[in-house]
Amino acid sequence: MANSKLKIFDYDKAEIGEALGSYEYILTQEMLEAFRASVDDPEAPFPTLGVKHDATAFAMVYDDPIGTVNAGNQVEFFNPPIVGKKINVTGRIADKYLRRDKPYIVIEAIAIDEDGRMLEKLSTYQLKRPDELGKKWHPKP
Amino acid sequence: MASKTIVQDQKIPSVTKKVTTESILQFESCGILKKENIHNNPELAAKRLGTTYAIASGRMSITFAAESMRKFFGPDVFNHTGTVNLKFLRPVKDGDTITVTGAVNGTEDIEGGTRVSVDLFCDNQDGDRTAVGLGTAVIK
Repeated sequence: MANSKLKIFDYDKAEIGEALGSYEYILTQEMLEAFRASVDDPEAPFPTLGVKHDATAFAMVYDDPIGTVNAGNQVEFFNPPIVGKKINVTGRIADKYLRRDKPYIVIEAIAIDEDGRMLEKLSTYQLKRPDELGKKWHPKP
Repeated sequence: MASKTIVQDQKIPSVTKKVTTESILQFESCGILKKENIHNNPELAAKRLGTTYAIASGRMSITFAAESMRKFFGPDVFNHTGTVNLKFLRPVKDGDTITVTGAVNGTEDIEGGTRVSVDLFCDNQDGDRTAVGLGTAVIK
């Protein structure tokens, strides 16, 4: 259901450096266990990847009816998050460009815990024409 | 760390993961916003991508690659200095088996240690490359 407080994403109006959502949440044991089970890695230390900090920051500000496909991700790890600690996330649009006439944005989120420990910096290269990838994957004869 | 000496072209431990609808949905359930997307809603994926299936989040492949890197460098190194950068080439979906491989492609002396770069590859059960990229970590 559409959230009326969200802005409709308009690629032409998006600006490099534009702030996305900032938010906080508490990492629970359940979140950690669900993440580890989903990737079949009992020692996976960054359940924050499953939270998708950058995409969440985007979705807190924008409704994007066209949708998006991730062309790539870049992540820097600094410290594994600790269960029970509050995680503070700040997001922004880090870049915007056309490649082969296709529109991309780069969204970025930085996560710091309540003790000031830097946890993770996650960036996603989003193609804002998801149908283009669909054509590539399923070319019509 | 797991590997005491690092040499050019040294292989990192490979990781193989079975991807299922259950694992895709469980990964999506980790989010704090309960939104429908191309990963948890096949109809939405069909509308936006023209696929007949929901696709796995690319962040699952990031996590698989990070596991390979962590096993090579050790958690004390990788969890505090590591990076993973992947470009996604093909969709990953229910029933796929993804294998991550990689090899050292270079080292660089930096302040506080040596940054080791690793070429990373994700391939599916058909031998098709689903992602390619680079990982790094800093060793003392």
